[in-house]
Amino acid sequence: MNYKPDEILLISYLYGELQGDEKRQVERYLAEHPDALKEVESLAFVRKSLANVPDKEVIAPPIVFDDRKTRYFWNTPFGRSLMGIAASLTLILLVGKLTGLNVSYTSNTLTVRFGDPKELPVVDAVQPGLSAYAVQEMIDQSLKQNNDQLQVQWTETQQKLDQSIRTNLAGRSDADFNKLVQRVSVASEDQIRQFALTLQAENASMIKDYMTLNSTDQRKYMQELLVDFAKYLEQQHRNDLQVLQARLNNIEQDTDLFKHETEQILTSIISSVDNTNSLVTKN
Amino acid sequence: MHAETLQDMALMHSDTLIERARQGDKNAQGRLVQVWYKRIYNYCFKFFLDHDLAMEASQKAFISMCRNIEALQDVGRFKSWLYKIAVNSCREEARKIKGAKAVSFDAVVNVEAEDSPGWEKTGRRNDNPEKHYQQQELADLLQQCLKELSEEQREVVIMKEYEGLKFREIAEALNISENTVKSRMYYGLDALKRILEKRNITKETVSYEL
Repeated sequence: MNYKPDEILLISYLYGELQGDEKRQVERYLAEHPDALKEVESLAFVRKSLANVPDKEVIAPPIVFDDRKTRYFWNTPFGRSLMGIAASLTLILLVGKLTGLNVSYTSNTLTVRFGDPKELPVVDAVQPGLSAYAVQEMIDQSLKQNNDQLQVQWTETQQKLDQSIRTNLAGRSDADFNKLVQRVSVASEDQIRQFALTLQAENASMIKDYMTLNSTDQRKYMQELLVDFAKYLEQQHRNDLQVLQARLNNIEQDTDLFKHETEQILTSIISSVDNTNSLVTKN
Repeated sequence: MHAETLQDMALMHSDTLIERARQGDKNAQGRLVQVWYKRIYNYCFKFFLDHDLAMEASQKAFISMCRNIEALQDVGRFKSWLYKIAVNSCREEARKIKGAKAVSFDAVVNVEAEDSPGWEKTGRRNDNPEKHYQQQELADLLQQCLKELSEEQREVVIMKEYEGLKFREIAEALNISENTVKSRMYYGLDALKRILEKRNITKETVSYEL
């Protein structure tokens, strides 16, 4: 018989992965070849020995993640200060250019100026003067002129006023006066009638106001009553809801606790290896 | 039967967690780290046999997991995907320490003087302290043997024997065929057998402890 299982088959057999014909074939071969059987048994012994190493208990350290943001050159501290210096230099140059700043040092004179150099206008120090007498004379002359003018205006106004008074007095007569008196009496009669009318109207409106006020008061009172009642109901409702909420919170906490415990149990199940995979022992 | 349903529940729970984490839920991602940290740490520890390196590698693996989980296509492949990240993380760390000639602090400080000896650790009351101590010793010895395996074989053996992954999952995690996994497993176990024999751990010498 030329059949000889290779190491792959043997390993599969050792770990109990073979089934049916293949398994039987290997078993038959091992039964016929004691040295091969011994080999397999010694491998099984190695596996059995290895099982003596227990897991080490370890607590997972907290792992903190930073957000992996790519840092560009201009976001580094050095890049930032460099950019800042460059920006301020540019600003200074720009301002200098716009204001036409010009600094020069010639023949022991430091000159700082904005814009082109400008020749200052030379002011004449000497002016022809007037004598005190001449000034006095000019003042006197202008005063005199002024006074004359005022005198003339004054007399003119006086004359105009006199004239207008005279014309007014001449235009009035008795008939005019009579008419005036009549008009006055008619006016007073109208006023009395008007007054009575307004009195009546006021009374009416007052009573009306009173009635409406009364009814609005009553309506308001009713409304307040209703509102109070509604508020009371709402408060009651809210209280009920709060009690319910508290109960629900309790339940939720309990559930959370339960979940947590379950999770821990499940975690321990996952982290313990099921090492009961079939060990082939000699039969 | 009961354990079966519990296992199913745990898996379902983990599926929803993964789904939520994939949608960018930081809370779920943190929970996932909590759930899987012990497994990944133990994988890394058995790979390096060094606590600090294992912590470093597993933390890097989880950071990478959280960053890339949104790209995970199939929730069912989460486990092999996670182990793939862990394997890469371990390989990277291993490459680093190969270059740098650093001495672990544990190697300098006398660890045994600081840690309580095995028999002082609390076990079940009716445990035989001597047996417990021997078992601890055996575990240390076995881990050292494991460390002597080549990197490729060590990865496969740890994933199969201690992490309980299926051959298919190991193949996915390592990006190799299932048959390659099995053959590595075979040669790994074979090599381990020889290492154990060299240290005089045979069926006859340890059988009373098992």
